[in-house]
Amino acid sequence: MTSLNRHTVAEWIAYGLFIVFVLALPLFWDDPFGLNRWARYLVYGMLGAAIALSWGYAGILNLGQGLFFGLGAYMTAMSLKLASWTSLQQGSDTPVPDFMLWNAQPGAPTDLCCIVPGSWVWIPFQEQWFGVAMSVVAPVVVAGLLSWALFRLRVSGVYVAIVTLALVLLVRLLVIDAQPITNGFNGLTDLGYLTILGHEIDPFENDSYYLIAVSLVVVLLAMRWLVATRAGLVLQSTRDDANRARYLGYDVTAYQVFFFTVSAGVAGFAGMLFVVVSDFASPSFMEIGFSIGMVVWAAVGGRGSLLGACIGAIAISVLETSASESEIFQEAWRLIVGLAFVIVVLFLPRGLAGLARDAVDRLPLGRAGAAPAGVAGKPAE
Amino acid sequence: MGAPTALMTDGLGVSFGAFKAVDTFSMVVEEGELRVVLGPNGAGKTTLMDLISGKTQSTSGRVVLFGQDVTNWPEHRIARAGIGRKFQIPSIFRELTVRQNLEVAASEEVGVWRNLRLGLRRREAAKIDDIVELAGLEDVEQRRAGDLSHGQMQWLELGMLIAQDAKVILLDEPTAGMTQAETRKTSEIVNRLKGEHTMLVVEHDMSFVRAIAEKITVMHMGKLLAQGTIEQIENNQAVRDAYLGSGGIH
Repeated sequence: MTSLNRHTVAEWIAYGLFIVFVLALPLFWDDPFGLNRWARYLVYGMLGAAIALSWGYAGILNLGQGLFFGLGAYMTAMSLKLASWTSLQQGSDTPVPDFMLWNAQPGAPTDLCCIVPGSWVWIPFQEQWFGVAMSVVAPVVVAGLLSWALFRLRVSGVYVAIVTLALVLLVRLLVIDAQPITNGFNGLTDLGYLTILGHEIDPFENDSYYLIAVSLVVVLLAMRWLVATRAGLVLQSTRDDANRARYLGYDVTAYQVFFFTVSAGVAGFAGMLFVVVSDFASPSFMEIGFSIGMVVWAAVGGRGSLLGACIGAIAISVLETSASESEIFQEAWRLIVGLAFVIVVLFLPRGLAGLARDAVDRLPLGRAGAAPAGVAGKPAE
Repeated sequence: MGAPTALMTDGLGVSFGAFKAVDTFSMVVEEGELRVVLGPNGAGKTTLMDLISGKTQSTSGRVVLFGQDVTNWPEHRIARAGIGRKFQIPSIFRELTVRQNLEVAASEEVGVWRNLRLGLRRREAAKIDDIVELAGLEDVEQRRAGDLSHGQMQWLELGMLIAQDAKVILLDEPTAGMTQAETRKTSEIVNRLKGEHTMLVVEHDMSFVRAIAEKITVMHMGKLLAQGTIEQIENNQAVRDAYLGSGGIH
């Protein structure tokens, strides 16, 4: 077995174990609250993998991924807000979010058309499919335009990081500022349930966990396929040497825009799923700390590996929750994560996935694949 | 003129402020020809390659490739039109394997959507096998390209230009930093490409130039100084004067 085959086999075993673990979790663990929490971790895992796609494979460090996550979350939350019981109790035939009444001028008609200035944008969100679709469409459109503007001018490296960071901050302020139609700082709470084919998804039932687990598996495999295609290989080549790729005839901008946009679409989709299990959307999704946290997940898990970054996100989130339950660690948690990040950057640039890969190399022949099993099993601990 | 014209520059020029790096430079390279461009430091050789390959926008003149005006096109479109370029410093995809480097270069499709598929066409795979052999990279085919020796990197980059099917290949000092043995192997590769590809080579190493050159163009201060066979150039008084101070051609 050549070393290439060995890595391929080991990788598929790791994916297989991860998928089995994620899908089988509810069979062994009958705790609605715990599963709901795990569903959120899996959403974070999807975000970590999306960062790996743009950072690890394209070399584009997006420090504002929270923008696309938040956008996706708000789009679905708007639909679910209109589906909530309270929205139908505001003395009108059509649903109107409660906070709009608090912000309305006296005498304003209780209707989405004109209760507060700009409230008409909510009208199409009465259809749930519209909000759900917009969770992916809106981030894709914004990311497409943004990345086209940036990469056409060959903005790269730290400048992309600065622009995306500034943008997520700006949008967060805009959302807070548009209080009458976004409920500002408080975000959108008291949401209705997502309905799929007439079936309501309760965040504290197994359905919601499975919805997210299956989504994660599908998205992860789709992204893995994407980076294995010829286009994925060309993308990695643009990361190593954009000029060389250009002189081979590739329109580097097109590749960067495509994959940046896919990454943003995945983040938006993750935002939609997060709203389904967490029952709220808030401007906190667009805080800098959250976006930077995603980058740390990917760095620790291994930005060169979609599965590694996904597991990194889940593992850190699990540890973070355990830490927040102990008083000493709660204070020190940020310090610990910061330290882990520095150590990984300095000594393990390929993260945990890189460690697993090296371990596979050291295995005696015939036992390929045992090592990544250990890594894939990590979140179970 | 025997063969059709592959590459023509017509009054090509670029100025950076008051400095004219390349000045009304006209040259005709025939199909299948191997043309060496010589010149003292700062003569504008690399800038000429930048102008032809689209890295630098020209301020005057035209670049014509097989009858098609490609002046100031974006790099990737010039590349698709048939120009391949090798840089002075090896420019390869360091994190990819040697074979993956060649796969990227050999792809017949360049669009994102059309490349959303797995695997190579059989034709592409066969082409890559040939190139791996030509460039003598059989033993390192699966190795990370960044771990290759300097010479191997240069050969890989040459191999990528062949995989790309570049009709006109621009080589910027292909033997810079190479040992004598590596230089010899490079001249072998270049000689095997003669005829199939039109080549424009910038080089200082005269033993390498003697090993490959047919016709030489000498640049000085951004302008064309002389053109001819190696004997004609070595005996040309203007060329000797231009090189005075840097010790003549050696």
